[in-house]
Amino acid sequence: MADLEFRDVHKSFGAVRALGGVSFAVREGETHACVGENGAGKSTLLKIVAGILRADRGEILWRGAPLRVGSPHDALAVTDRVGRLDEPAMRSRAAALLDELHVPVSADRRMEHLSPAHVQLVQVARALAFDCRVLVLDEPTTSLTDAEATQLFGVLAALKARGVTILFVSHRLPEVFRLCDRITVLRDGHHIATFDREAATVDQVVRAMVGREPPGHVPRERPAGDARPALSVRDLVRRPRVNGVSFDVAAGEIVGVFGLVGSGRTELVETIFGLARPDAGSVDVHGHRLAPGAPASAIRSGVALVPEDRQRQGLFFNLSLGDNLALPGAALVSHRLIRRREERDGAASQIAALSIKAPGLQVTPDRLSGGNQQKVVVGKWLGIAPRVLLLDEPTKGVDIGAKYEIHNIIRREASRGMACLVASSDLPEVLALADRILVVRDGRLRGELSAVEADEERVMRLAAAPAEGPA
Amino acid sequence: MRRFWHTRELSTVAILALEAIVFTWYLWPEGGRAHPFLNGPNGLLILKYSSIYGIAAIGAAIVIISGGIDLAPGAVIALTSVVTGHLFVKSGWPLAPSVAAGLLTGAAAGLVSSWLIVRVGLPPFIATLGVMGIARGVAFIITEARYYDLSRTIPPGSRLLGVPVDWVAPVVMIAAACVFQFLMKRFQWGRAVFAIGGNETAAVFTGIAVGRVKTSVYVVAGLLASVSGIVLAVAQGQGKADLATGYELDIIASAVVGGASLAGGRGSVVGAVLGALIFGVLRNALPQIPGATFYDRLIVGLVVIVIVVLDQVLVRHER
Repeated sequence: MADLEFRDVHKSFGAVRALGGVSFAVREGETHACVGENGAGKSTLLKIVAGILRADRGEILWRGAPLRVGSPHDALAVTDRVGRLDEPAMRSRAAALLDELHVPVSADRRMEHLSPAHVQLVQVARALAFDCRVLVLDEPTTSLTDAEATQLFGVLAALKARGVTILFVSHRLPEVFRLCDRITVLRDGHHIATFDREAATVDQVVRAMVGREPPGHVPRERPAGDARPALSVRDLVRRPRVNGVSFDVAAGEIVGVFGLVGSGRTELVETIFGLARPDAGSVDVHGHRLAPGAPASAIRSGVALVPEDRQRQGLFFNLSLGDNLALPGAALVSHRLIRRREERDGAASQIAALSIKAPGLQVTPDRLSGGNQQKVVVGKWLGIAPRVLLLDEPTKGVDIGAKYEIHNIIRREASRGMACLVASSDLPEVLALADRILVVRDGRLRGELSAVEADEERVMRLAAAPAEGPA
Repeated sequence: MRRFWHTRELSTVAILALEAIVFTWYLWPEGGRAHPFLNGPNGLLILKYSSIYGIAAIGAAIVIISGGIDLAPGAVIALTSVVTGHLFVKSGWPLAPSVAAGLLTGAAAGLVSSWLIVRVGLPPFIATLGVMGIARGVAFIITEARYYDLSRTIPPGSRLLGVPVDWVAPVVMIAAACVFQFLMKRFQWGRAVFAIGGNETAAVFTGIAVGRVKTSVYVVAGLLASVSGIVLAVAQGQGKADLATGYELDIIASAVVGGASLAGGRGSVVGAVLGALIFGVLRNALPQIPGATFYDRLIVGLVVIVIVVLDQVLVRHER
């Protein structure tokens, strides 16, 4: 019997359609996963269940009767809010609940002193406190370590054994396969498929999420020609995070810089671009020495940086898409007057070349999805036709589809002779993209691997294990 | 057409027109006497006194768009009037170099503000608060509680470069509004100002010379404030250290009512001028309403709040 049934649910935000008619059912007592890329509509769906948003059209049935949720107050248990269990009257009940679920938290602790993992566990326990029948979780493991996630899953298994229906939203497939009985895939606001876990494979689910075959490492032909390095970094020091780094990147080459968080990866590319003044060392582009600590000089020499954080470092949300795409050019041109027609043509060609989905050049970037925003940041730099392109986490927080598109853009630009330096903490990304991988740890290069010899284990060993020393 | 109606300046024009209509109706005289509000000389008076705020408000709008704030314009107006008055009246300089020296004083005040902000790293509020005190203080030191009488050398009814002296202020305001509207909308410089106000970190990452642009913004604001100072000195016929006390807040209010967002990245030069006119009309008409004398500051305060709230509601509605 269906416990919770979605029937043709629609929801739009202005011109952006988040849900375009979603129908599926969650059976009583099952653990049901809802998966999809960023922007697929998962969170919107949950917010409608919880009463935070109202559907434009369609309905949600609760045991056959329409579910009327006016506000979050009326809703089912949504473990989205931090609760408090420290009122004295509730103490013994809370302690019993926490104990029953094997949550290793004392009922007397204040929530603000708990780790994110324990906060999650307490929230789930709270759901039990009022005997909930359906538990909805939105990406509950994003801030948890593996061990903490395991603990959460233990609690969820206990709930499931008590007959609680669980609707679980995630984009982490391994945990979905571990926990859920059935898996519903959403894409672009539509229901694509619902799989039984026993009958489904990870590949099937990924294909349903992406809508196409995921490409692996693409063998790439490097353009022959100029053997001299396009980018040449020598003994670069920016204390405390960059401690003497030297390497070259040839024209047409994609070099990956892999490093874990805190390895000095970001500081390295930012120092190359001139955002930080180096304490020592030099950067040459096609034999021309860059002025230290001057991004404008780097730009004039043909260097561009796609920064790590597009919202904070890449985009102007008060300016139109056209202005955003045209701004880097201002550092290059001598004329003071804005040439509207020239800029419009340039922006339109970037939008076409990168297939940026936008309702027009006049809109502000907040109207775009994360993947398209990232393509705008890439496009604003490709517009000045740089000879050296530095990218820091170029696909952070974008969905799988946009990720492949951005990878293909990087490959295409490299094949046209651009020297690309891709700094990333996303190992599969570095392996898929780079011709050569430099591994950074503690601000130094710990090794260099060619695409042929690199695999996850070798790269990770260089990046993570200080005891084994540099290769 | 939709875009046209959504232009922020247009709603400011509408408010100004509404205001003029309300006062014209409310102050309509009985028995064929002359209208106290709707007449040529009064219109010129409103324009003249609005210009003093309006010219400085152009600079204030640009500073606010860049994400900053300038508290110095009132004091810069006074200092300029004193410097120009001192050189012209006391030292017997010709008019042109005296005015030029006054304008340089304003630019220098802006340069000091920008140095404190860009190089020393002070928040704009603190830096310009300091410069406000310094400028006012220097004005008092120069005058030693005297004032310079300019009315004897620039008599009312004379002409400056062919423009009647009463018309100089409005003409300068309109010219400055046109020039800076164009600079802000069509020049790389103006777009850089919007970019810095919208997201300063991204501006640095995009290779915009943030320090240089910010410096130019405060110098422009200082320069425009000193233009206001010259205009006020000529209008009142004197250079005085306690001139334009408290004007900075009216100037900022004009820019804000004209659509400038204190969060930065949003605003308009033309809007700031219209904002100054909105206040000019209020200040002119309210005292003519019997019994309203003690209410005019209150009403001005309410108008600021109502217009800005209305603006935010409209912005939210558009989203």
